[in-house]
Amino acid sequence: MWDLRKGNDQMDAKLVNPFVDAFVAVMPQMGFPEPKRMKMSVKTKNAVSLGVAVIVGFTKQLRGNIVYNMSEDTAKFIASTMMMGMPVAAFDEMAQSAISEMSNMLTANAATNLTGLGLEADISTPSLSIGPDFQVKISDDNYLTVDMDLGGHLVELDIAVEQQ
Amino acid sequence: MEKVKVMIVDDSKVSRAMLEGNLSKTNFEVCAMAKNAAEAVKLYGETKPAVVTMDMNLPDADGIECSRRIHEMDPEAKIVMISAMKDASLVAKGREAGISAFLQKPISTNDLIDTLMILCQNKVGKVAVLRESYAKPFVRALQQGIFSLIGVHSEVELTLDERHFLDMSGGVAVIIGLTGYPNGRAIVSMESETMHKFSMIMLDKESPSAVTEEEGSDSVEEAANIIVGRGVSNINDVFKDKEMRITPPGTIVGSNIRIASPKLTTFRIVAKTRIGDIEMNVGFAEGE
Repeated sequence: MWDLRKGNDQMDAKLVNPFVDAFVAVMPQMGFPEPKRMKMSVKTKNAVSLGVAVIVGFTKQLRGNIVYNMSEDTAKFIASTMMMGMPVAAFDEMAQSAISEMSNMLTANAATNLTGLGLEADISTPSLSIGPDFQVKISDDNYLTVDMDLGGHLVELDIAVEQQ
Repeated sequence: MEKVKVMIVDDSKVSRAMLEGNLSKTNFEVCAMAKNAAEAVKLYGETKPAVVTMDMNLPDADGIECSRRIHEMDPEAKIVMISAMKDASLVAKGREAGISAFLQKPISTNDLIDTLMILCQNKVGKVAVLRESYAKPFVRALQQGIFSLIGVHSEVELTLDERHFLDMSGGVAVIIGLTGYPNGRAIVSMESETMHKFSMIMLDKESPSAVTEEEGSDSVEEAANIIVGRGVSNINDVFKDKEMRITPPGTIVGSNIRIASPKLTTFRIVAKTRIGDIEMNVGFAEGE
């Protein structure tokens, strides 16, 4: 288990793990190789977008946001794999839709994992931002970043959670 | 946008008033109220409502018989039975008489609206219902919120956004998720220049340039939280039983950003103010 110090407090790894576990469990079901956890860190500054960032918010007993942050190339690779290997030349509406759907599935799965811990969380619809130069703020103090390796592609998970 | 006409058939004055009250803040409008079956048949012919709510107990015939008569006149009639008792035999008889849906007393506003919405979808379209019952509360919230936060008046416009994305050349966008029914998200955004002016007034600074980028986006984030929260309260006031909630904000800052929400029905609300346009984009998932 991770022990993440934030001043005197501690960001509880048990609240973050369900999101990472969802990614590890769900991606192979969609035809991806098993994702590997790379590095993990606590951050305070805004997350810097890698090109495509999907935010999904959640609330109830657990409140927060998760960002699925990736390059446009990675997004195209994911969309293509999700669409049974159909080539994805441009990150168009169909590809955007696939990435949104993936984010929705992953977060819904994480919410189910959380229910197993006795914590309810309702999730919002995903919002997908695209651009060469933007940042995302999901917390007033710190949040957790986990780098996942997905078949040689990097997907960064930025997670801010707060228990009510 | 044209309101959807509803006829209420109920012998109790209190029940009629309650139903009318439930519907008053929504897209539905009561066009006729009947206290017995004869009146119901007559008024149906005169007012041609899109949907009828039918009580089971009427002085001159029961609700099933009354529905049968209406259905003879208009085979397309949409009737919702509202009764204290709801059992299999009543539902079976009701279906035969052309009743499309059954609700049990006491009915919740939300169930009633949901049922009417589903029944009238073909006639009015779900988009119209989302617009009237869910997007409009955010229009009020935006206008009132801007005024209460920075004392600035605005002209507000609501349009259906068919593009499914919003573009920002440089500025801030605060994304707040909506959970409950329907779920979705609201995005409050403005360009950088407007953000600085907005924050200057909110934080009582002497000039827009005295506002740092971080202060600017933090001010807009706080304002968005208040405005979207108010919009959701406006909705929850009508739909008292199912609570819509907001997630914490996710704030995007930068330039040349496109925010897409494929598959959502989205509405664009623009508040034109003397410090620039303040935009709100609310999107709802179409299914539950």
